[in-house]
Amino acid sequence: MNDGDVEVFLALVERHRIYMYNLALQLTGNEQDAKDVVQESLLNAFRHFHRFEGRADLRTWLHRILVNCALDHRRSLRRRPDAHHPQPLADVADTAASNSPDPERLVASADWRRLVSAAMEAMSPLERVTFALRHFEGKSIAEIAQAVGIGHNAVKQHIFRAVRKLRLALDAACTSTPKRTGWSSR
Amino acid sequence: MSHLKDDDLVLQYYGEGGPEMLTAARHLEACTDCARAYEALARTLGAVKPPEFVEVPDDTQALRQLLREQVRAQTWLTEPRAIALAWLVPLLYPWALPAFFASAQLAGEQVPAVALSVLALLWACAGPVVALAVLHGTVDRFDRVLTRLRVLGALMATVSPPLFILIARGGERLPTWYGAIAVTAVLALVPWPNVSGPTRRLQFVHRVSAAVLGVFILGHIVNQSLAFVSVPSYAEMRSVMRLATQQSISYVVILTAVAIQIVTGATMVLKNVGAGAFARNLQAVSGWYLAVFLFSHVFAAFFLPRPAGVPPVAASLVPPYLLTSARATAQLPYYLLGVAAFLVHVGVYARLAAPAYLAESSVRRLSYAATFVGAMVVATVGLSLCGIHIYG
Repeated sequence: MNDGDVEVFLALVERHRIYMYNLALQLTGNEQDAKDVVQESLLNAFRHFHRFEGRADLRTWLHRILVNCALDHRRSLRRRPDAHHPQPLADVADTAASNSPDPERLVASADWRRLVSAAMEAMSPLERVTFALRHFEGKSIAEIAQAVGIGHNAVKQHIFRAVRKLRLALDAACTSTPKRTGWSSR
Repeated sequence: MSHLKDDDLVLQYYGEGGPEMLTAARHLEACTDCARAYEALARTLGAVKPPEFVEVPDDTQALRQLLREQVRAQTWLTEPRAIALAWLVPLLYPWALPAFFASAQLAGEQVPAVALSVLALLWACAGPVVALAVLHGTVDRFDRVLTRLRVLGALMATVSPPLFILIARGGERLPTWYGAIAVTAVLALVPWPNVSGPTRRLQFVHRVSAAVLGVFILGHIVNQSLAFVSVPSYAEMRSVMRLATQQSISYVVILTAVAIQIVTGATMVLKNVGAGAFARNLQAVSGWYLAVFLFSHVFAAFFLPRPAGVPPVAASLVPPYLLTSARATAQLPYYLLGVAAFLVHVGVYARLAAPAYLAESSVRRLSYAATFVGAMVVATVGLSLCGIHIYG
C-alpha cells in the first residue's frame, strides 16, 4: 500500500462517514467516543482493505467493522474505571423525577435524555450495542448476530437484559414512588 | 394460552417473535393484563429516542496522516513472510525433536540446561501459534493460490506433531515426512470447493459426538493429571478406565464418535477460517490438531505397526516417561498439544455460547479462570509425562 491508496480509500469512505459517525454515536453515547470509534474503524478498514473486493456492499462492510470497534471501545472503557464517571443512575432518576413530576413533560425534557443515557451506561458493552442496533438502527436479530459475531439466542438475551435495565431506570423515574426491584407491572 | 412473558413482549415489540407472533397478537387482543404490560413496554421503548443527528467533525487531515503512518509501518508479517513462516514449521519439525531430547538429557546433568530444553519444547509446540498468526491476516476466500498456500502452511504447522508420529509409525521418517509436505503444498494449486452452504445439521452431529468423546478424553486428561500427584492412584483409575473402554460397545462408540468428529469437522473447517476472527481461527486450528491427533491415536493402530522401542502409552498402567529415548520424546509435544487442543476447542465453544446464558462480565471472569485452570492442567500433564511425580 502507498500514499495513493490512502487517497483512494479516503475518497471511497467519504460518503459513508456521516452514517458511520452517527452510528458510532448511537453505539457509544457521546461525541468524543464516537469520533475515536470512527477513526479506529477506518484505520482497521484500511488495514484490511485488500480483503474487501466489492463482494459485499461497502457500507455493510464498514458497518460490521464499526460495530466491532465500538464493542472493543466500550470494553476498554469498562476495564479503565477512571475513564468514565457516570452519575449514579439513581441520582439521575431522582433528579429527573423531581424536575418534571409529570411523566409527559419528563419524556420531552433534557432530564429524560440524561436518564436514558445513564441507563445505557449501566448496560454491558454487548447489551448496549445489540440494543442500539435493534432499537435505533432497526437491524434484525439475524443481522446483529452476523455483525457482532455471536449467536441469535445470545443477541436476544442481551437485548432482553438491556430492555430490563432500561425499564428499571425509566419506569422508576416516571412514577412518584420509584420501583427498584423489577420492571414488570404484572 | 398462558400469559406472555416479558421477553416475549420485547420480541413482539420488535417484530422478532417469528411464527408465534400471530398467536401472541391474538392473545394481546384477548388478555387485558398482557395488553397493559405491552402498552407499558411500548410506551417506555417508544420514548427512547436515538441521539440527535450531529454534524461530522472534519478530521480528514488527521485521518490522512494516521493512514499514511500506517502505510509506513506496514505489518511485519507480509504474505510472503507468512507463507514462509508457516511452511518453515513442518520443514524444521523433525529437527526440533532431537534438539529437545538432547537438551533434556543435558538438563538432567546440568541444571542451567533446563531453560534450553524448555525452549526446544516450545519450538516443537510452536506450530499452532504460528498457524494462528498466519491465519489472522488471511482472507476467507480461497480462490488465490497464495491464500491456499498460506492456509495449507498453517494446517501443516498445526498438525506437524501428530502427523510426524503417524508417519513414524509407518517406519520411514524423513523422506516420507518431506514427501507429505510436498504433496500438501501441491494441493494449493488445485481449486478448492465452495464452502458457503449451511452447516447447522453438521454442527449438531459434531456436538453430539463431541459430547460422547469429551467424556472419554476428559477422563484420560484427569487421570494423566492425577499421575503427577500419585502414581498408584493413576494406576488404579487407569485399570478402571481400561475395563470400561475395552468393552466392545464402548469401543465401537468411541471409534464412531472419532470418525464423526473427523468427517463433520473436515466439512466445516474451511467455513471456520477467517481474517481477524481470532476465536474462529482458534477453534479451527485446535480442530485440525484434534482431527489428526485422534486419527493417529485411535485408528492408526489398525493399519500401522508401532515401532520398536516406543512404549505403548495407552496400554500401560504405569505413567509414561517420555524422555527415555529420542523416539519416545516425539510423543511429548504430541500429547501436550493434544490436551491443549481439546481444552481450547471446548473452551472456545463454551466462550462463544455462554453469553446466551450468562452476563458478559461473568463470562469474562469464568473464561479467565478456565484459561488458568487449563494452563495448569497442561503443565501438570507435561510434568507427569516427563516422569515428575509428587508421590511415586
